[in-house]
Amino acid sequence: MNQLLKIGMTVQTGDSARSCRVEQFLGGGGQGEVYRATLDDAAVALKWYFPAQATVQQRRNLQLLIAKGAPTARFLWPLALAVAPGVGGFGYLMPLREPRYKSIVDLMKRRIEPSFRVLATAGLELVHSFLELHAKGLCYQDISFGNVCFDPANGEVSIGDNDNVGVDGETGGGVLGTPRFIAPEVVRGEAAPSTQTDLFSLAVLLFYMFMIHHPLEGRKEVAIRCFDLPAMTQLYGVEPVFIFDPADDSNRPAPGYHDNALVFWPIYPQFFRDLFTRAFTEGIRDPLHGRVRESEWRAALAQLRDLIVYCARCGAENFYDAASGQSAGVCWSCRQPLRWPPRLHIGRQVIMLNHDSRLFPHHLEQQLYDFSNVAATVAQHPGNPAIWGLKNLTGRNWVITSGEGAIKEVEPGRSVTLAAGTRINFGGVEGDIRC
Amino acid sequence: MPKLPGGELASRPLHFIWIADCSGSMGVDGKIQQLNFAIRDAVPHMQKVAEDNPNAAVLVRAIKFSNGAQWHIAQPTPVAEFKWLDLEAMGVTDMGMALSMLAEQLKIPPMSERALPPVLVLISDGRPTDDFQKGLSALLGEPWGRKAVRLAIAIGEDADYEVLQRFIGHPELKPLQANSPEALVRHIRWVSTAVLKSASAPASQPREGGVSKLNVPIPAPPEPGPDVAEDVW
Repeated sequence: MNQLLKIGMTVQTGDSARSCRVEQFLGGGGQGEVYRATLDDAAVALKWYFPAQATVQQRRNLQLLIAKGAPTARFLWPLALAVAPGVGGFGYLMPLREPRYKSIVDLMKRRIEPSFRVLATAGLELVHSFLELHAKGLCYQDISFGNVCFDPANGEVSIGDNDNVGVDGETGGGVLGTPRFIAPEVVRGEAAPSTQTDLFSLAVLLFYMFMIHHPLEGRKEVAIRCFDLPAMTQLYGVEPVFIFDPADDSNRPAPGYHDNALVFWPIYPQFFRDLFTRAFTEGIRDPLHGRVRESEWRAALAQLRDLIVYCARCGAENFYDAASGQSAGVCWSCRQPLRWPPRLHIGRQVIMLNHDSRLFPHHLEQQLYDFSNVAATVAQHPGNPAIWGLKNLTGRNWVITSGEGAIKEVEPGRSVTLAAGTRINFGGVEGDIRC
Repeated sequence: MPKLPGGELASRPLHFIWIADCSGSMGVDGKIQQLNFAIRDAVPHMQKVAEDNPNAAVLVRAIKFSNGAQWHIAQPTPVAEFKWLDLEAMGVTDMGMALSMLAEQLKIPPMSERALPPVLVLISDGRPTDDFQKGLSALLGEPWGRKAVRLAIAIGEDADYEVLQRFIGHPELKPLQANSPEALVRHIRWVSTAVLKSASAPASQPREGGVSKLNVPIPAPPEPGPDVAEDVW
């Protein structure tokens, strides 16, 4: 039904005229249909456009994207154009998304239950991917629920629907975006999609991921009876007010309607809430200079990941908040008092040393986010389980200075006891343990 | 123990209502069977669209008209649990009565004050035999009737195109003409998927769409592809 291509038929790649066999219809969208196909014995995805969408401009854009190549491996990037004898229009090939990836919709509907650590990792991967995309002079234009998936087990992201990606400032055709995600100035018709408007959409998606709620849906949304396009234009474009705007309480979340926002918001550390506040106050007032940049989100999400602590009673993840002083507060889940584990300070980074905490290259060097490369891990003393340490998994010696001033070396594979006052020189950077 | 607090994303109800012609003429040439088939065929696709949409709680029901009108599936049913019950053809075309009954159900209450725009799909193969205008006025007299996305499918050549156009109420939207079983399946599928999606979470907005007078962006209906041997590039 409504299938543009026939199962079993062959399409040709535009560049080298390699044959690609259409295997299975996967689904249809607003622009075309997606199939599973086989190219040189490898499974790929094939998107074929509806006749109205198979424009010369779309074809040129795909050629540009194919020539530029994927910004990171997280993008299901166009690999090659595809044409088929006897069938009008064209399509393109891209990597096939593995089934382990679930959509943000699954998170919104609570069909998956990732941990806070996974959410922070997915957020970090997401903003890092968009940083790389934007750094190439490209903008995505249509960040929304449907385009981003992540692995609920480890937070790896997979970004699809990249055929609308365009060169920033030259995006003639294409789309304005998806309502609820479109930047207010685009909703009002004052601007076209760009990397700056991507930053707004990205902040909305992050807010959805961390609060399971929209940042502009508060009392003003409750007052709307029929939530149609004019209502959306008003709420998201003409009169956008952040639900936690410290200077304007006219759109606070309403109990009974916006409970997720009320429940999630206080769980996060102040610095993280401040970043959202900036994204949806200054970021709305000043689209050019006020928005939170990808690198700021990346640093914040890396930090958020490191601030996770476990409730000793029920095991729920909570967050350490330096802004709350000595008071650890209570667990959001069981309401029992929390206790902070030892923590490692490296420059401005704080890493809570839980039983399963690990250090990665970005903790010890600059900018290298690689969670497959563990530099250190919290470990139990083999002879005395009451003693916990930080195990050196790097290839070089650490130099530690105890609270009493004694200096020792920690060779690769050995551990340093977690004791207040101990300073660790990792080579390039130095950290100290606080309890 | 849940790893995260809170619950599902807050959503609004979206009422989707089939308004089906069951007059005697629908019994000719297997039209009622084709309609039953087309709706049954669309249900799983409708469920999939709803599953992928966190912003709406889709509730489906159906009203039928022939000699008078009655609710065929009266209970607003969550789409995941929705089961189509076959219609039978007999009698005249009391379309006005169906719209009046629909108007009663769009009052607040029983409708909630807050919702997404309802989607009303009128399917007919003939001319109303009762006071259509009275029913339409009652429907448009209700705020939810006016705000609803109203679509119409004309089955065969004898459908009253003008009446269906008045039901839609927007000159830029035309009744969908279904002159073949394939076209009927295509149109039913389109209203129950693409339009359903648009009424709650419109897809990417095309930049050159212009300013629409519609309160819900209605995507272009599907057309069978042209039988061209190959496009020239």
